Amino acid sequence: MLKKSKKLITMILGVAVLTSIFVGCSGSKKAADGKVEISWMCYGQPQETKVYEQVIKKFEEKYPNVKVKLVSTTQDQYGQKIQAAMASNTMSDVVYMGPGDVKAWTNAGKMLKMTEYLDKAEKDGILKLDDIWEKGLAKYKYDGTKIGQGDIYALPKDIGPFGFGYNKTLFEKKGIPLPDKTKPYTWDQFIDVCKKLTNDTGGDDATFGTGLNVQWSLPAFVFSNGADWLNDDATKVTITDPKFEESLQFFADQTLKYKITPSSEQGQTLDTYQRWLKGQLGFFATAPWDIAAFESLPFEYDIIPWPAGSTGQTASWLGSVGFGVAANTKHPQEATNLAIFLSTDKDANKMVSDQQIQVPNIKSMAKTDYLNASNKPANKQAFIDLIEKYGKPLPGERTYNAEWYNKYLEGIQDVLDGKITAKDYCEKVQPEMQKLLDDSIAKEAKEKTK
Amino acid sequence: MHELLLTFATKILKSKKIIGGENMAAKIKIKSKSDYYARERKAGYLFVLAPVLQFFIFALVPLLISLYAGFTDWSTIGKPSFTGIENFVKMTQDPHFWKALFNTAFMMIGIPIRLVLALMLALAMNRKIFGAKTFRVLYYIPVISSIAAISILWRWVYNGDYGLLNQVLSIVGVKGPNWLTNEATVKPAIIAMAVWQDLGMSMLLYLAGIQSIPKDYNEAAQIDGANTFQIFKNITVPMLKPVTFYMVITGIIGGSQMFIQQNLMTDNGGTNYSAATIVYYLWDKAFKQYQMGYACAVGWILAIIIFAVTYFQFKNSSNELFEE
Repeated sequence: MLKKSKKLITMILGVAVLTSIFVGCSGSKKAADGKVEISWMCYGQPQETKVYEQVIKKFEEKYPNVKVKLVSTTQDQYGQKIQAAMASNTMSDVVYMGPGDVKAWTNAGKMLKMTEYLDKAEKDGILKLDDIWEKGLAKYKYDGTKIGQGDIYALPKDIGPFGFGYNKTLFEKKGIPLPDKTKPYTWDQFIDVCKKLTNDTGGDDATFGTGLNVQWSLPAFVFSNGADWLNDDATKVTITDPKFEESLQFFADQTLKYKITPSSEQGQTLDTYQRWLKGQLGFFATAPWDIAAFESLPFEYDIIPWPAGSTGQTASWLGSVGFGVAANTKHPQEATNLAIFLSTDKDANKMVSDQQIQVPNIKSMAKTDYLNASNKPANKQAFIDLIEKYGKPLPGERTYNAEWYNKYLEGIQDVLDGKITAKDYCEKVQPEMQKLLDDSIAKEAKEKTK
Repeated sequence: MHELLLTFATKILKSKKIIGGENMAAKIKIKSKSDYYARERKAGYLFVLAPVLQFFIFALVPLLISLYAGFTDWSTIGKPSFTGIENFVKMTQDPHFWKALFNTAFMMIGIPIRLVLALMLALAMNRKIFGAKTFRVLYYIPVISSIAAISILWRWVYNGDYGLLNQVLSIVGVKGPNWLTNEATVKPAIIAMAVWQDLGMSMLLYLAGIQSIPKDYNEAAQIDGANTFQIFKNITVPMLKPVTFYMVITGIIGGSQMFIQQNLMTDNGGTNYSAATIVYYLWDKAFKQYQMGYACAVGWILAIIIFAVTYFQFKNSSNELFEE
C-alpha cells in the first residue's frame, strides 16, 4: 500500500501524463485587451527570423489594434507543415506561397481572394499596386485556368532574378576585354571568350570559362533561343522543338565539345560553385540571394545579361515566394494589411534587403535607392532588367504539380555525359513527360469540381 | 481543454476516495480483499490509459484513416473521393514503383554484410585486448548519432571532387567516381554507410550472445579435440541463431523503410531513379505531388510485403528456434 503522499504524487503524475496528450488541443485564444490577433507562418534562417520579429514590431506600431504571432519553421519542413495545417484547418492567417503552389492551393479553396481587400487598402492609401513589379505580381494572379491573369492571391515577398556574373579579376589577368554591361554575348562569342579563359592544367590553378548547373542555368539558354518546356497554356510539353533541343545540346557541348567547363562528372552544383568561390571560373550564375555570400570573394565580380540565343534577347527565370492569406482567416483585412506591409512597406523592405540584399519589391524604390546604392554588385541594372523585361517563370511553376518536369530531370545527366544526344533524349522522354502532365491536368480538373 | 480534463480526473479520483483530505487513509475502510484488488486494478487502468490512448490516437486511428485513404484520390489539401482500386492499378503501371521496390530490395544486401562484419568484430571484442571497452564505445557512437547528420557528413565524404574518400583513393592513384551521382555506385555507397552506422549495435548484440553461450559446450568440444574453427562452426554460430534471426528480421523491417539517407544524399531519387527507395517514392507522392491517397495505398502494400516476409521467416525458423 502506497503511503498517502506518495499515492497523491503518483496519481498527479498519472493525470499529468494523460493531460499531456491533449496539450496540443488549445482552442482559439481571445486577446484580453480586445486586440485582433493574427498569425504569420514563415521559414528562414535564425538571423532572418530575428529581422522578421523587428518588422512585426514596426507593423504593430502602425496598426496598434493588431497583434501578430510569428510561427517560424525551416524551409524544408515548410511544405509538409503547411499541408498538415491545410488538412486540419489550422492555417496561419498569413503564409508563404510559392508560385508553383498557386494552382493547387487556390483550387483547393485554401487561399483568400485578396482583390477586394487590396482595393480597400489602395483607397486607404497604404498600397500602390502598380508600383509592384508586374512580373512578380503576375506569378500570384490566377483566374482559374491560367497563371498570370485574374484575381490576386499573394503579394511577392521577393522577386529574385537569376542573373549571370563574371569574374572581373580573371578577365583582367588574361587580358580579355570586359563584357558589355547591357549587350549580351551571342552564343558563339560566349564560347570564344570561354575558350580564352580556359586553362585546364589539371591542378588547383586550372581555370575554366564556366561550369553551370543544368537545372537552373539551362532556362536562360532555352528562353533566349525562343523555346520553352511548355506551350502557352501549359498543356503540351514542347521539348521536341528543334530550338529547345539545340539549346540543350549547346549546353551539354560546353563540356563535351568546347571543353570550357570542368569535366561532366564534376559539373554538379556544389563543385562548380566551390570553383567559382575560389576564382577559377570566368562566369557563374549570380542571383540577389548570393550577394551576401559573395561579399568576401577573393576577386572582383559584376553582373551582365545572359548570352542570347537566336532571339538576340537575353532571358532567365525569376524566383519568388509570396505572402498569401488563408481563405478561412477570421480577419481578412488585417491579414491582407500585414501582407501588404511585409511586401511593400519601405522600412520593412529596407530591413530585409539590408540582410539579404534582395531587389526591393517596389519599383520606385528599386530604381532609386537600390540602384544607386554603393554596395556590390555595380551593375544592378542587369537584375532590374530581368525583373522588368526578360524574366520568365520556371517550367514547374505553371502546372498543378511538377512530376512531368522531374521526369525530364531524372535522366538529363546522360545528355550531359554525352551518352545520348539532346535530340534523342528529348524525343524519348517527351511522351512520358506529356503523360505525367496530362495526369496532373486531369487531377487539377477533378480537384476543381470538388 | 486540459483544465477540464484535470478537473474531471480529480473528481473521479476524489469520488473513489483515492485522494482527498488529510485523514482519508484512516477513514478508508477496506471492506474485503476483492475490494482492495478492485481499487488497485482501477489505479492500474488509469496508469495504463495514457500510453493506450497515445497508441489509439497516434497509431491506430491514422492507420485506419490511411487504409481508407488508399482507396481515394485524396490530395491532402482537397477533399478525398472514393476511387476504388484505381490507386493499386496505377501502382502496377508505374515504372518508378517497381524501380523503387528493386532499389529497396537491393539495399538488403547490407544485412548479411553487416552480420558477418559484426560477428567478426564481436569475436575480436570478446578477447581481453587492451582498450576493448573503448572500442566498444567508439563502434557504438554511430548507432546513436542522428541519421540526418551522418547522411549529410557522408554526402561530403562521397563528393566526387573534394570528398574524403576520393582524396584517399587518389593517394594510391585511383580516380574515384562521383559516388552519389553515378548510377552504378550510389546504392553500394549508401549500403556501405548504413552498414557502418549499424555495425555497433549488431556487434554488441552478438557480443552479448557469445558471452551467454555456456562455457561447458566449448570445454566439452575442446576435450573432444575440436579446433577453434570447428568450435566456431558447430557451437558458436548455431547458438547465436536467435540473435541472427532477430537481426535479420529487424534488418528487413528497418531496411525496407529506408528513407532519410536517400533523401539527404541524392536529389530526386538519384540519376535515373537509381537510389530511390519505396518510402522515398511514397513520400514524394504524398508531399510533393499532392497524391496522399496514392501514397497511402503504396504504404499499405509495403506493410503487407513486410508482414508476409516476416511471417514466412518465423514459419521457417520456428521449428529450429524453439526446439529446446
